[in-house]
Amino acid sequence: MASNFRSAQGANKRKTYFLLAAMGLLTWLVAYAALTYFGAGTTTFVVPLAVGIALVGVWGSYYGSDKLVLTMTGARVIQREDNPELFNLIEEVVIASGLPMPKVAIVEDSAPNAFATGRNPEHALIAFTTRILEVMDRDELQGVIAHEMSHVANRDTLVSAVAATTAGAIAILSDFLTRMMWFGGGRDRRNSNQNPLLLIVSLAILILAPIAAMLLRSAISRRRESLADATAVSFTRNPAGLRRALETLAADSTVVRQRSNAVAHIWIESPLDGKSVSKLFSTHPPIEERIETLRAMESLGPQQ
Amino acid sequence: MEIFVVIGVIALLAIFIVAQYNRLVRLNISVDEAFAQIEVQLKRRADLIPNLVETVKGYATHEQSTFDAVVAARAKATSATGVADVAAADGALTQALRGLLAVAEAYPDLKASTNFLALQEELSTTENKVAFARQFYNDNVRSLNEAVATIPTSFFAGLAKVSARPFYEVEDPQSREVPKVNF
Repeated sequence: MASNFRSAQGANKRKTYFLLAAMGLLTWLVAYAALTYFGAGTTTFVVPLAVGIALVGVWGSYYGSDKLVLTMTGARVIQREDNPELFNLIEEVVIASGLPMPKVAIVEDSAPNAFATGRNPEHALIAFTTRILEVMDRDELQGVIAHEMSHVANRDTLVSAVAATTAGAIAILSDFLTRMMWFGGGRDRRNSNQNPLLLIVSLAILILAPIAAMLLRSAISRRRESLADATAVSFTRNPAGLRRALETLAADSTVVRQRSNAVAHIWIESPLDGKSVSKLFSTHPPIEERIETLRAMESLGPQQ
Repeated sequence: MEIFVVIGVIALLAIFIVAQYNRLVRLNISVDEAFAQIEVQLKRRADLIPNLVETVKGYATHEQSTFDAVVAARAKATSATGVADVAAADGALTQALRGLLAVAEAYPDLKASTNFLALQEELSTTENKVAFARQFYNDNVRSLNEAVATIPTSFFAGLAKVSARPFYEVEDPQSREVPKVNF
């Protein structure tokens, strides 16, 4: 499946739309199941409430993402004088991407890793661990910066906020309704002579929906990672740099000392232990797969 | 009743035309901006050259012809205007600089000097910036030219006074690759 970065970008964008549509469909299914099980009275009250709670929770972290993530990861914003060579590299990618210059931060950590955040390109922040700056050469670091700037260009903070809101709303909804079920409340009497099969299906949907939403959310995150790899190549036209960077990351077994799992998905290499998280729930595609895709782009030769 | 339908259709048509017109104008402005960015980076490179030549001269006194070539190429590059001329002068200067760095290769003292190392980092990042600015410009020209040539935007190219723009092509085929100088 050798594809150049343009077709890889297109494919990953299409898959994101498809997954977001699936997320919408799932929300609709849950609302429908609630309607079947509890009747219109309860549902019209509970669904907006769940969406509201999820929105309030996610909106704050989306809007203030650049500041919030700083505290959650312990990153420290630096100026040009602190590391002119790093700024040179970032300016190169900024010119290639046509984006505004982001804020730059450093995380004191012995694991090589990097991330990007910010609600829009004007409020973007990209951060690097001290270790990644030590182990990577110019081309590799340029690939990493291009990957992070791609997240900014593709507005992945927004995409993951949308995914988090829907997944959160579904989880809250399912939680509310299953609790109400145990206490037997809320069910309309006029619905009690309804088809029992339909009730069982609704119940199953209510219980399984949060897991399905989690899976969809992880799948969206994986697509955005692949998309960022492809967009990075469109900036640098040098798949070898990012490929070698990923190989360096794969070879290194140290893991970022997380302060919070909540920000695990934003790093270039997943800081969660691969064994404890199944492939379906992981926020990143397997690193070998990403390396293979980049290698296939390299085999196409220099691209205009 | 019919009058509303007619007004609605006219309004939709107007919105459509304005959107196409604005898209073309916006693409055209992006190309201008992208070209300005190339010029900014070329200027930065030109500003680095006198310092670089002086530093190399301090160690390598018998390479006058190489210095002259760089200075002449720089003079041409700073006075060039228009995409084709700027691109040609840019290519020539890249060549001359490559010659200068090749000369530096033969002087171990020069390669070890901190001044030269700092200049070399500045030069290689500027070369990268020039290369990326060219690439960004060409990507913008590609979008514009596509819009000018394809339906429906092509219908409005005349109205918006926007036409296809030239690509920034550097003659030297090697110059797409950033000069890799390992001192």
